[in-house]
Amino acid sequence: MSDLAQMSAGAVRGPAKRTGHGTQAMAGLALVALPMAMLLGLILWPTMRMIGATVTLEDRIGADRYVAFFGDAYSMANLRFTLEMSLISALTALALSFGIALYLRFSAGRIATMIHALSLFPLFVPSIIISYALVRFLGPNGLFQLLLEQIGITQYRTPYLTPVGPFLAFVWENLPLPVLVLSAGLTQVSDHAVEAARDLGARPLRILWEILLPQTRRSLLIAFALIFLGILGAYTVPYMLGPAAPEMMGVYMQRTLGNLQDPDSAQVQAVVLMAIASVVGGFYIATMLKSQGAER
Amino acid sequence: MLDIDTITKTFAGAPAVREATFTVQRGELVCLLGPSGCGKSTLLRVISGLTDADSGQIRIEGADVTAMQANRRPTAMVFQSHALWSHMTVAQNVGFGLRVRGMPRAQIAAKIADVLDLVGLSSFGKRLPAELSGGQAQRVALARCLVVEPKILLMDEPFSALDAHLRKALREELKALQRRSGLTTIFVTHDQEEAMELADRIVVMQAGRVEQFGPPGRLYRQPQTLAVAQFIGVMNTCTTAIQDGMARWYGVDVRAAMPPGEAVVLCRPEDLYLDPNGAAATVTRVIDLGPVTKVNLITPEGDLLTWTCARDLAPVQGALVRLMARHLHVFRGGNLVGRIEQPDLVFQEGAMT
Repeated sequence: MSDLAQMSAGAVRGPAKRTGHGTQAMAGLALVALPMAMLLGLILWPTMRMIGATVTLEDRIGADRYVAFFGDAYSMANLRFTLEMSLISALTALALSFGIALYLRFSAGRIATMIHALSLFPLFVPSIIISYALVRFLGPNGLFQLLLEQIGITQYRTPYLTPVGPFLAFVWENLPLPVLVLSAGLTQVSDHAVEAARDLGARPLRILWEILLPQTRRSLLIAFALIFLGILGAYTVPYMLGPAAPEMMGVYMQRTLGNLQDPDSAQVQAVVLMAIASVVGGFYIATMLKSQGAER
Repeated sequence: MLDIDTITKTFAGAPAVREATFTVQRGELVCLLGPSGCGKSTLLRVISGLTDADSGQIRIEGADVTAMQANRRPTAMVFQSHALWSHMTVAQNVGFGLRVRGMPRAQIAAKIADVLDLVGLSSFGKRLPAELSGGQAQRVALARCLVVEPKILLMDEPFSALDAHLRKALREELKALQRRSGLTTIFVTHDQEEAMELADRIVVMQAGRVEQFGPPGRLYRQPQTLAVAQFIGVMNTCTTAIQDGMARWYGVDVRAAMPPGEAVVLCRPEDLYLDPNGAAATVTRVIDLGPVTKVNLITPEGDLLTWTCARDLAPVQGALVRLMARHLHVFRGGNLVGRIEQPDLVFQEGAMT
């Protein structure tokens, strides 16, 4: 192409590119405008109002309701139970799903495909069904008890009204998402990265500890945040399963609002739970931004 | 030092390596050379233990290591993708193999410093792999292997992702380093120039088989199979029928005292010369390559020929020239049966030594 031709081509391309860029930017803004408006109007604004309401007393502004919440042994027991249940269930689901993702990453064939499909199955089962299924399976005269009786074990005491009940449901319910996230993370670790470690003398446990876990650290953190937040605000599973007291915050909030007709306390419980979720959520967003930055 | 004894490897019924057999001497640099999919990388992985052989035996210093796991073999491998661990610094990457071996920390630090110095990266220990160029990353990968002092260094196309200039520089560095250390090295490449420059001996592979094993010059001058002849360098290929002890080569009769039948006669472009009694061909293109001139020709029968000559001998485009060959390699059934040599162009049976 001659210089003149290049210049004229540049002259045509230049403004067209700028116009295209402007249109693209406008289109982008238009696409995010509606969800952003909904987020601001239906979530952030009511949230701010609610937080304001929790500190607005009849005659002044004060944290009295929070003092009452943190001073109440039953509320604190519920909060502790919720945090412990969320943490233990999330870590267990994460460990199990990492095992499944590891198997799927390094295996091929029919069995691997079957396990993959099975691990994703809970994704398509609603919480209420999972809860009922567990009640029918683990509950009194459930399938598990009948099976045990067939082999002569008659001392079975159902765990579905103990913390084990919701724990099992949470773990089962929360397997698919981390399997997907961790499988994606593990595909980023090349075969050669693993083989190089093997070639230099590393055994499987060392490869897991020094190569696979650090290389999938971000996926693990993201998966943990997603499961933890889901369990923290769960309602259906702890409503159906688990002990009557202490109770998980989702059920506690609903009972405070519905049965006790005490919206002020329910709002305080919601704000406390949201504050905890925000910390984990912030952690999740920071990890996501960091990983996007690393990709750039 | 390293005996590869009838190694065979099949993937889902498709043979990748077929009865590969050769012996590598201590301190030798041997290249596994062949086109993509010829089984050279598979064979290297079998040597490393990362892939199991279906049959055959691998011996290192006489000891059978065929059933030994990769992490127990006295080999270390440099991968094409360098395979550095992105979450570890250069020093941590290099020290990994030593940590695995349970070496004391102070000793590890000293060894890392030594080997980074050897590959010219002594000030790079604290960097992350993402902060390295392609060439530096490959040097770190090499250092990571050298530091564990393997008996055999395995390299799987380590420079193929780098640009030509850097590849050449690294090749020379590797050769010098290998000579100094005397480390037995197996180097996989599909680049024949790289293999010719680096190797003491080359294993040419084709469709999973070892076609020929020998020094680079011998592979070039005395290819034993048609596949090797056509893969290494450029060859003018003429398929001819031999009758009454004569072979017809681009319209010229040459003596070939062998049983009648089809044969493939090959000659190197640099073995052609101008001769009034030679084969007639018309010049279609003259390419000045600097040290030599490459001349493309076409015979009256439509066969294409390539001739390389000194610049002052090169004819002009469109000229009719007559060419004769100093050596002709004669193949039958894919194998060398003999050569037709100047001055008399008489067929000599069997391989030259």
